[in-house]
Amino acid sequence: MKRLFASLALIASAYAQAGPMGFNGSTMAMGDFSLNWQEAWVNHAVTPRDAFGAGVVVMRSDDKRSASQLSRTFSELTYTRLLHRINGEHSQANFWFMGGAGRLTGNNFGDSKTMLAPGVSADYETTRFYSSATVRLYRAPGINHDFVSARTGFSFYEADYDEIQPWLILEARRMRGLSEKTEITPMLRLIHKRYFVELGVNSMRQARANFMYIF
Amino acid sequence: MKKPTLKTMAAYAGIYFFVTAGSPALAVESVKVTVNGMVCAFCAQGIEKGLMGMPAAKLVFVDLKKKVVAVEAKDGQKLDPQKITAEITDAGYDVVKLEIVQLSVADIKAAAKAQK
Repeated sequence: MKRLFASLALIASAYAQAGPMGFNGSTMAMGDFSLNWQEAWVNHAVTPRDAFGAGVVVMRSDDKRSASQLSRTFSELTYTRLLHRINGEHSQANFWFMGGAGRLTGNNFGDSKTMLAPGVSADYETTRFYSSATVRLYRAPGINHDFVSARTGFSFYEADYDEIQPWLILEARRMRGLSEKTEITPMLRLIHKRYFVELGVNSMRQARANFMYIF
Repeated sequence: MKKPTLKTMAAYAGIYFFVTAGSPALAVESVKVTVNGMVCAFCAQGIEKGLMGMPAAKLVFVDLKKKVVAVEAKDGQKLDPQKITAEITDAGYDVVKLEIVQLSVADIKAAAKAQK
């Protein structure tokens, strides 16, 4: 149970990767894949500040004993709002609200539960530096897996818009009631125009791959 | 075949000047905008797509390093600086400088590349 919802928290970490929504009129698709986690969501920006979407997360705990291994599926509808943006000469800072609501099913309880997942996130970035912090609540009857994460990283060099830009990103996160440890994940991030890829290995030695694409 | 005389050459030159001087095809005009907050490829993509949606826009170039966006007008058409400013501002960025230049986007791009 402890690490079960570690996977769930990846939703929030994904939100913090490069902004949780694209530009006005765009559709953003995201996938996050690791041993105990398969997730995909899509959202559509109806204004420069608002996006609606849907996502599905299939995850399981990472303990090796099959009898105690838990699984969860969370299907949610999402709303994302850019609350405030500060534009600097060479920087940008954003404050986001992310709200999710959906059904949670699991192998250790009968009926599905309604889960609400509101959260806020802030990020600051330049063309060479990135940082973000996210807090998101994951609440369902009898379940509380509130989540906090922080990310920071740098780009190896400044790139043009039409070039691939590599980054090294370090993520730390903790989940209430899931693990007493802070999970650390270094990742190589590649950004090029419409896509975004991250590859890394977390402190549990599990490979992880994320992608994002804007249509 | 007769050799062209000085007089006929001058006449051809005159016709060429008359035709090309009034041709909007040679009067390339672009709007060059300095934008605050434009730091990532996703930002650039949104701005590029928004500006390319303007009827008079032919080409758009985004220089992330210099925070510059250049928009070239279609032949014979004029870009509206106010609309360009509104498009960028609505997308969530700040326009700090806007100038109209007699350069193509290709020229601006080449100059930017040459300075790197």
